[in-house]
Amino acid sequence: MRKIFCSSILIAGAILAGHSIKPARAQQEQAQQDKTQPTPDAAALTPPPAYTPRPKGAPPAEDTPAQREAIARWKAKAEQATQAARAEHNAVVTPTYNFHYGKKNPYTPGNITVQGDGFIQPGAFPSAEYCGTCHQEAYKQWRQALHSNAFRTPFYRTSVNLLIRDKTRGISFARHCDSCHNPIGVLGGALTEDSKLDRARFDADGLTCTTCHSVLSLDSTNGNSSVQVGVPSALVDENGDRIPGEVPFDMILRHPERHSKAVMHDFLHKPEFCAACHKANLPDPLNDYKFIRAFTAYDEWQLSKFSQRNPLTFYTADFTTCQGCHMKRAAITLPDYGAKDGTLVSHRWLAGNTAVPFYYGFDEQLKKTIEFLRTGNYLNVDIFGIQKVGSDKLIAPLGRVAYNLAPSDAVQAYVVIQNKNIGHSLIPEVRDLYEAWVEFTVKDANGKEIYHSGFLKPDGMLDPRAHSFTNRPVTDEGDFVDNHKVWTIHSVAYDNTVQAGRSVLVRYEFRMPADINGAVTVTAKVNYRHLRQSYLDNIFGKDDHPAYPIVEIASKTRTLKVGDNQPEAPDTADNEDWMRWNNLGISLLDQFQYMEAVSAFNEVVKLRPNYAEGYTNIGLTEIVWEKYDSARRAINRALAIDPNSARATYYDGLLQRRAGNTEKEIADFRKVVEKFPQSRDARRELGITYYQKNDNKAALEQFEALQQIDPDDLTAHYNLSILYRRMGRPKEAAEQQAMFVDKKVDPGAPTYSLNYLRVHPEISTESIPWHIHSDLVDAAGAPQNGK
Amino acid sequence: MENSLNVKMKTLRLALLFIGMLSLSANCHAKNNCPWINEATASGLLGGDAVNEFTEASAGQPAVCTITQAGAGFTRTLRITVEMAPDTHDHWQAALQLCGKNAAPLQAIGNEASMCLLDNHGAGLAELVVGRVRDQLFTITMSTTLKDDLILTKMSLKEKIYTASEQVAGNLF
Repeated sequence: MRKIFCSSILIAGAILAGHSIKPARAQQEQAQQDKTQPTPDAAALTPPPAYTPRPKGAPPAEDTPAQREAIARWKAKAEQATQAARAEHNAVVTPTYNFHYGKKNPYTPGNITVQGDGFIQPGAFPSAEYCGTCHQEAYKQWRQALHSNAFRTPFYRTSVNLLIRDKTRGISFARHCDSCHNPIGVLGGALTEDSKLDRARFDADGLTCTTCHSVLSLDSTNGNSSVQVGVPSALVDENGDRIPGEVPFDMILRHPERHSKAVMHDFLHKPEFCAACHKANLPDPLNDYKFIRAFTAYDEWQLSKFSQRNPLTFYTADFTTCQGCHMKRAAITLPDYGAKDGTLVSHRWLAGNTAVPFYYGFDEQLKKTIEFLRTGNYLNVDIFGIQKVGSDKLIAPLGRVAYNLAPSDAVQAYVVIQNKNIGHSLIPEVRDLYEAWVEFTVKDANGKEIYHSGFLKPDGMLDPRAHSFTNRPVTDEGDFVDNHKVWTIHSVAYDNTVQAGRSVLVRYEFRMPADINGAVTVTAKVNYRHLRQSYLDNIFGKDDHPAYPIVEIASKTRTLKVGDNQPEAPDTADNEDWMRWNNLGISLLDQFQYMEAVSAFNEVVKLRPNYAEGYTNIGLTEIVWEKYDSARRAINRALAIDPNSARATYYDGLLQRRAGNTEKEIADFRKVVEKFPQSRDARRELGITYYQKNDNKAALEQFEALQQIDPDDLTAHYNLSILYRRMGRPKEAAEQQAMFVDKKVDPGAPTYSLNYLRVHPEISTESIPWHIHSDLVDAAGAPQNGK
Repeated sequence: MENSLNVKMKTLRLALLFIGMLSLSANCHAKNNCPWINEATASGLLGGDAVNEFTEASAGQPAVCTITQAGAGFTRTLRITVEMAPDTHDHWQAALQLCGKNAAPLQAIGNEASMCLLDNHGAGLAELVVGRVRDQLFTITMSTTLKDDLILTKMSLKEKIYTASEQVAGNLF
């Protein structure tokens, strides 16, 4: 037992939340500072056995015949015991198990499978404490991390309980969620009405060490736990055969290389492994409707600059995997025989979740999570420019040009937020639960507020007119799915996420006070809260929980003086001027403001005349604007500067198609595919070109390759169904056709969204890419300019 | 003879009726499944095969699960009560009076929870958790009649009741 004291950060979070706390909540917050938390930590572990690593490069230990025989005896005994226990387990579980999806699909709607026949007994999984004996640092980190708490938290339980209690669903449907959140429970057959399993350990440990470290293969990148779990093993014998269950530590310490062979696989270092659960869909067996993509951090990464698999990113970066950001190597503080040179890859999987460490009082995890969010240079906030209302002139980049402001001027501020170094969207995954938003304030010299968007109301709810990076999934009645009843989702009314590497332009209008002299300070922040207030209210009851932490991820402040403003030296944290213009161009492109986007990109090439990407950006904007002649000029210029640019070559391919130059089109796309074999866009376009050329075999090759990269690509499904049919492969054609029909968005779905937007004008405005946040009113007091 | 047969038949009918009423009453009174923790998990916590009796909530009375594991001369019990209570925080504080000054706040159980060792006047050990999930008030008592129980020691009792609390609160969310 140990006591954990909440750090001042938590209180700061509550203060930052800025809303009053009712007496019961105040008492809860006070009480939270001195609570008993009996979850075992590393201090409760047995001390590690003595171990002296063999010198680097030394060959593995040679076993004597007696030692070999001892291992063989142990293995035979362990296999026999494991098999007998499994048979006994199945005899108990199977007769009453609810095979809702048929005997052959015991884990559906999850995609998880397990080696061998029938359910696997939870006892086959060595405990975290067993692993933790020699890996105390990893254990300590894991215990506070999201993976170990994947099942037991109220944030998850509330959602999954709704599914279990739903009259048209039930616990068997929860296998969809628990395949990732409680895999041992699913594979053990616990997810049935009359469970015979002791749930204590696997419920508390969620994803324990031997779930990830027992995965034998990744079945696909379809997600929903698309892995095959092996019978857990901590050691292989001299032939490489797995020995099931826990083995004595001395056997492992004598042969650490065999331990590695049992528990470490190359795929553990790859993003495809993370994809198993960080990619999810809502399949027909769950929602009785159709396939709906829930989230896919994996595909977002694959399309980002960090994967180096996509030639079409706006910027480039070193290859970085999910593990590269979320499992960074750090110095150990506790003994861990898996450490290398005193460091271990993090088993905290730091990301955005502050709610779980806050609830459990895991102060270290919370502190590190906040540091992670703040120190990653993930976002860039740029108060890029201002425009006086009524004038067409954009004063930009702010800080670099001279301008004049007068009292009573109505000003529109351009805030550009760049998803600069996140390998996925802002915000990723279940963005119906998380909340990131822009808080924009204008204050006079005395700190008096002139304008404020993105504030929190007294009840903790976010200003409904804030610019937030969230979404609004809706039911077939057009109601917001506020409580994560994902099986009722039929459409998404809006989704304001910012994809990796892209930027968003947020416009704010305010009026300088008539009596102002001096200056105003303008601040734009991106705040993050895990979770949305109304979701926390769903879990704990309204006004019945402390304020959860709010983290400021990035911010920027500028001073606007009344009178003359002169250029200043740039802040070292600011993007360079060319990049500021480039980000504006990207955001305007995404808002379908093609003329303005081209103007912005033209500023880029003025500042960097030899920057091929600047011309490519002009070209791609003009392609979508359907101005092909000028697009061709821009792309030619890009290729003249950098003939090897795969990105410019790709757009050249599109332009060659437009001009009817099929051979050049093929040459372009082939060149891109050679450089970027996992470019889904290049594969797709090359497949289409071959298809149009009636080269069915070559087209098939491209679409099959595309499907390997993205198993949900609709173009691949559609074309493969036709191509297979042409080639006399009706079964495969029918499969592709069925997948196309299932995955294609329901043409009726937008009407559900419209039903929601009709009664939520504030969200309706947010759903329009080009909108203004304004509190300006006309002479009659009516709002000006939309908001 | 006939009379005697009639009496015997009457007695048999009465006995059958009585048994029938008993079993009917038992069916109405007890269900095998406790909604907040299953028998296998409770058995694991109590250290052996346990039997569960569930009583649904009735006017003014909470729903109760009583799970017992009986051995030679001892009984280990896990008792859970759950009731809906408006102004739950106040009810929770009132229920905490059972702990007196010994209540220790418990982290990460429901909206709020506290635990304490109950004074059993030397007859075994008993630990109590009083908690709530939204407007559902729950109490969990884990006890043993053994004075020196090797399974439910003072230390393990705290860990086990925490696990039980996590199961109960998790199912109430």
